Amino acid sequence: MASLRPLLRCAAALAACGSVLLVLLAPRLLHAQVAELSLGTTVFHEPSKVGSQMTVINPNASLVVTPWEWISVNAGYEADIVSGASEPVKAGKLSSPDIISQASVEDFRHVATGGFTLRKKNTRLSAGYAYAQELDYRSHGFSVSTATDFLQKNTEIELSYARGFDKVCNAAFPESRDPSLRLPLDSSDGCFKNADNRQEQDIDINNFQAGWTQAWTPVLTTQVVGTFQLQHGFLGNPYRGVVIGPSGQIAQEHHPENRARSAVAVRAKYFVRGIQTAFGLGVRGYKDTWDILGQTYQVDAERFMTPWLRVLLRGRYYQQTGALFWSDDYTGGEPLFGPRGQYWSGDRETSPMRSFMFGGRVLGEWRGAPGNRLLGMMLNASAAANLDVIQTELDDFTLAGLNPDDTFAIVFGLSFGGGF
Amino acid sequence: MKQIKPHHRSVLTAGLFAFVLSFATGCVTVRPEQRSILADPTMQMKSSNRDEAALQHVLENREGSFGGGTVEGGGCGCN
Repeated sequence: MASLRPLLRCAAALAACGSVLLVLLAPRLLHAQVAELSLGTTVFHEPSKVGSQMTVINPNASLVVTPWEWISVNAGYEADIVSGASEPVKAGKLSSPDIISQASVEDFRHVATGGFTLRKKNTRLSAGYAYAQELDYRSHGFSVSTATDFLQKNTEIELSYARGFDKVCNAAFPESRDPSLRLPLDSSDGCFKNADNRQEQDIDINNFQAGWTQAWTPVLTTQVVGTFQLQHGFLGNPYRGVVIGPSGQIAQEHHPENRARSAVAVRAKYFVRGIQTAFGLGVRGYKDTWDILGQTYQVDAERFMTPWLRVLLRGRYYQQTGALFWSDDYTGGEPLFGPRGQYWSGDRETSPMRSFMFGGRVLGEWRGAPGNRLLGMMLNASAAANLDVIQTELDDFTLAGLNPDDTFAIVFGLSFGGGF
Repeated sequence: MKQIKPHHRSVLTAGLFAFVLSFATGCVTVRPEQRSILADPTMQMKSSNRDEAALQHVLENREGSFGGGTVEGGGCGCN
């Protein structure tokens, strides 16, 4: 219960700020649109016949208040309600399938956000803060961004920086203990409660991003976005054990403490007047110092079916190589099955893979007017439903030689919004 | 004479293309009265709906890659 106090304090502060704003702005609420409220829920489900299914329910709410044209203030809350099961020990092709077992996973992640945006002529400046907590993780995130447009608003440049101060719970072992002798965390009991058998390890995150959006013709825009991220700290999963010895010796997953990640994405939007449809095309390249190379291709098409209803269809293909230290089995001596230097991983995200995604969204939007509000109170309203399916193909990842069957995922969401 | 490897050539071509484009922006003038389609919600790079952020959250937790997400922009139809 004590772990929830910071969150409750944060929620109380947000509620107090929101109440003060609403009281101060109530007279204006009757005359102009000053508040946008959004409510939604996303459900992620990954079925499995052998029991390693995962379900994440993500309810969210956000409020943006714009009392004057030059400033907006926002606050939000979301949660990840996680339930399912996963394999606590990663073994490879040379191990017996008997070593694989499932452990139930239950967690509740809370995220509270707040921030503001200032606008002046063609420039805007935003700043925000996010606090997240779950049983075994804490995160403080600060972000600033600025954007400006010029050349008759045909060119827009945006720069942003975000800094994360995260902490993850781990088993308490002396720093001098060799990583091959460290055992995985068995539960979140005692985490962030100063328990003798627990410690908190830092994760520092620095994130830089620059974006350039350009309108080329009345029906064509492009965007180039570059992202650079530095991570430092404990970057593995404390619960995951990896079989690293032929005799079945298990050690906690051991990843490098530093990771520099960079990505460049180029995308375009083109409107075909003949069929009144906007087509999007995006390509992204990714590289990091763990030697993971990724490429992403995305297409979408969106069209107004009626003046208030639009439909979006999207498809995506993703492919990545494995990390330099990735091996499906660290027990077999030299590659193909064997150790890769001083690190070991049981994370499928560090293995070579590809994925296909297909889905879409239906979005309805309705507009009122100051003297003719929707339901007597809203200047605009929206409702959306989205459904996407993701199929992942793991080239090299096995659970003791067996291919995991939780490679298909469904993402379903509903959201509602209103302007007051 | 030293041959340029094919993948180096494609990187050079892409770099040259980006360099030329960066100067070409000065010639681009989509006038305000021509911006009605650019201001259409379907032409925005970043959707105001939260489903894309939620989807991004899912993908980042299932893949080794990160970054290159959308930023605001596309068209405002203002001026």
